[in-house]
Amino acid sequence: MVSTTTMRPDVPVEKLDYTPQTVPPPELTPEQARGRTHYLNADNTLLGWLLTVDHKRIGMMYLLGVTLFFVAGAIAVGLVRTNLITPTGAILELDQYNKAFTAHGTIMLFLFLIPVVPGVLGNFFVPMMIGAKDMAFPKLNLMSFYVWAFGALFFIYQLMVGGLDTGWTLYPPYSTKYSHTNVLYAGLGIFITGFSSILTGLNIIATVHKMRCPGMTWGRLPLFVWAMYATSVIQLLGTPVLAVTVVMAAVEKLFGIGIFDPTIGGDPVLFQHMFWFYSHPAVYIMILPGMGVINEVLTCFARKNIFGYAAVAWSSVGIAVVGFLVWGHHMFLAGQGYYLSMVFAFLTMLVAVPSAIKVFNWTATLYGGVITYQAPMIHALGFIVLFTVGGLTGLFLGTMGTDIHLHDTYFVIAHFHYTMVGGMMFAWQAGLHFWWPKMTGRMYSDFWSRLAAIVMIVGFALTFLPQFAVGYLGMPRRYPNYPPEFQIYNVMSTAAAYIQGIGFIMPAFYLTASLFFGKSAGNNPYRATGLEWQTHSPPDAHNFPATPRVYFGPYEYGVPDGLALVDKLDAQHAHANGTHTAKEGVTSGS
Amino acid sequence: MFGFMETPPIYPDQASKFAVEYDYLFWYMSAVVAVGGAAVYALLIYCCFRFAKSPANTRPQRILGSNKLEIIWTVIPLLFFLSFFVWGARVWDTAIGIPPEAARREYFVVGKQWMWKVQDPDGLRQINEITLEAGVPVKVTGTSEDVIHDFGIPAFRSKFDVVPGRYTAAWYEPTRPGTYHLFCDQYCGQGHSQMVGKVNVLSGADYQEWKNGTYRTPFVNAAAMAGKATTKGPLDGSPAWRGRLLFHKLQCNGCHFTQSPDDPTPPKAPSLENLWMTKRELSDGRTVTASDEYLRTAIRNPTEHVRSGWKAIMPAFHTGLATELDIIDLTAYIRSLKPGDLPYRNEKSPTPIGGAPKASQGNPNPPAGPDGGKK
Repeated sequence: MVSTTTMRPDVPVEKLDYTPQTVPPPELTPEQARGRTHYLNADNTLLGWLLTVDHKRIGMMYLLGVTLFFVAGAIAVGLVRTNLITPTGAILELDQYNKAFTAHGTIMLFLFLIPVVPGVLGNFFVPMMIGAKDMAFPKLNLMSFYVWAFGALFFIYQLMVGGLDTGWTLYPPYSTKYSHTNVLYAGLGIFITGFSSILTGLNIIATVHKMRCPGMTWGRLPLFVWAMYATSVIQLLGTPVLAVTVVMAAVEKLFGIGIFDPTIGGDPVLFQHMFWFYSHPAVYIMILPGMGVINEVLTCFARKNIFGYAAVAWSSVGIAVVGFLVWGHHMFLAGQGYYLSMVFAFLTMLVAVPSAIKVFNWTATLYGGVITYQAPMIHALGFIVLFTVGGLTGLFLGTMGTDIHLHDTYFVIAHFHYTMVGGMMFAWQAGLHFWWPKMTGRMYSDFWSRLAAIVMIVGFALTFLPQFAVGYLGMPRRYPNYPPEFQIYNVMSTAAAYIQGIGFIMPAFYLTASLFFGKSAGNNPYRATGLEWQTHSPPDAHNFPATPRVYFGPYEYGVPDGLALVDKLDAQHAHANGTHTAKEGVTSGS
Repeated sequence: MFGFMETPPIYPDQASKFAVEYDYLFWYMSAVVAVGGAAVYALLIYCCFRFAKSPANTRPQRILGSNKLEIIWTVIPLLFFLSFFVWGARVWDTAIGIPPEAARREYFVVGKQWMWKVQDPDGLRQINEITLEAGVPVKVTGTSEDVIHDFGIPAFRSKFDVVPGRYTAAWYEPTRPGTYHLFCDQYCGQGHSQMVGKVNVLSGADYQEWKNGTYRTPFVNAAAMAGKATTKGPLDGSPAWRGRLLFHKLQCNGCHFTQSPDDPTPPKAPSLENLWMTKRELSDGRTVTASDEYLRTAIRNPTEHVRSGWKAIMPAFHTGLATELDIIDLTAYIRSLKPGDLPYRNEKSPTPIGGAPKASQGNPNPPAGPDGGKK
């Protein structure tokens, strides 16, 4: 074992109340900051952006793209919720309603939730968090952006020529034989964006394996990186199955060969098996990166080491593995065999455990902290509160008996919005607000960002709580018309949805304003430990002034005097976490 | 105006034996989940306040974790989750384990875009409607002619996908007479939300009457409220029965109504009880007999004879609003009105049960013929 003294940073740093993973660079003077070249202004031409291989610029292009599609998906749901104010449909015809909810589902899932955190935050911060200059395959990274954009064009085209009315689940034989809408274009869009997802996953896996800077052991990886790694594994293994499924559906629709058509011997339930084999793990593709963001934000604003690093990291992997084996719980009522359903229901209960572990560990992380409530923290706490509801109500749907009555009702809608929006959307907001100063070098308005967070959380919670009630009463999903006794719940839900909408519009204003009027953020406005903060804001074109060398785990907040305590802390850390190997954690390069 | 301001339902009807068993599991899980969630929230709130930054709290503690706690909060939730699984599998077993006595009365359901066709064990067919006898377990076997549908009855906590090319089944033992929702729960295209219907549960005697074609839809009228006379309406499917539905649909009882004790609004038009073939005075001094022809004119062109003491405020119901057949039905209803039968103001018509099973009695939803009936 190399003596601990060799690990000691040889640059003296000022007294800190936290211990960064590496030695932070000195803050720039205003003169230095003004003339500095960074990733945003180096080669700031149109071609310089469009042909960039810089992971940060690609992340920013994703940010623009997913924001546009979020707006499109939100407009679609605005129509849906407004229509539901009256039992007979306030504004839309039946067909229009079906197209609106399908547009909402497909856009939000395939073009927003799946790419948002991996595309924006994953691209931007995974290399920075592991101390790399870029992704392992920078050109592949650019290609996956353009593949995604190309696939997205088919969604846009499909919307322009009349839309799709199958729901995002595309169940045959409705989608293959009976729907006269643009199933093929939408399928092509799903197929192509899927490849982007596969390539991004591949790139992140390679990056995490091969690009970690000296000292960045697996045990010192920020948990966001662990979560992105688990997500990438799912993307890599699951998405090809979706591609195969979509191709089969397209062949069926074009040539009527009868894979899913019972009139000539096919089986429509086969599609459901293949679809959910991807699409159930896909919900973990959507939520795991969000959970990763929460670890970073909570630790920073509670000034605490994460409670149970190993438990949180391995629960991500556990979710990724077991999440592949639970797809059948979507098909309890589709005529699936009793014992098959039993196996899926059992595994569903197992996959609920890692999520519960994460929630407990996050709560315990707050214990003994020094908590401040800036916008990212409010979003992160909103995540825990809302995701808990989403997770617990999921148990009712994964339990065979209770699923009978609740299946395909508004209870399901409320449940998955509490996980996907209450979870992922708030994690995305937490991450965006947390890293915005690093991405742009500017601080946004503290007041407006906190207010927006509260409006969003309250609006969201009130939108979907009535839907649990109306779902238990039996209101089916995808109904533009409904019995009048359900109206009160729908009116409440729609009213709250408008409040929520106002909340989601607010960041567009104060974040944009921060670009022009925001005060300079400095290198590390939140005094965070992660490598991505130990460089300038916005980062240099190649992220770090020099290749960083990592000495500590990712969340050493609760340590007075910071680096002054290197020896003592290192001994403690090695003892407590067992993360220091004989190689002193140096895994690549030097 | 604000119909939805009436007390909303908070608990779905519990109208079958299985619904009771289902709700025990549902409330057990709700209780566990509520306690568990509340515990997490309580800890969260405690930490957020206790450890908020303050002059007294500036030094965070360095806590890395606790294997003991990790094991505790892995094992305890897992045990509860497994209890959900075991109980849930038992409830599921009940739902799909069709008892022999139910299998002896087998209904067939065929879903197609966008309607339900139901055939009872005796061959009687209904559309978008299934009529069951309380206390008698039945099996329902379903399939689809086109896409996947789902035959869902919330009051029975029952639901099963109706898949083309397969037979799927469920069973019910209805316990409480009443009318309940039937929904298609699996998205099936444009008319998905129109693919709804009614589940009628009748008590034994009513069910027999319904089978015999002598069933009368019960309703609450002024006389019944006063504790006298019948609560049964005209014979189901008869002209008077249809006239009564029209009377509510055309909102005749917005003016022609019995004043209810809790409603200060007096009637704006004369009562129609015991009207038929009696002498009535008009505002121009004539006296006429309220014959069928008089009633027809009174509906088509009300200003022709205005009853003395009343204002001429009734709108004319031209053929676009009421056909000649409609007026025959309305007249039949007015003929049948005995004291106490006229509804309260804007009272809603009770949901009628299907209509008489025999087409000769003029069932508005005629049972499907052997060729599959109307589309």
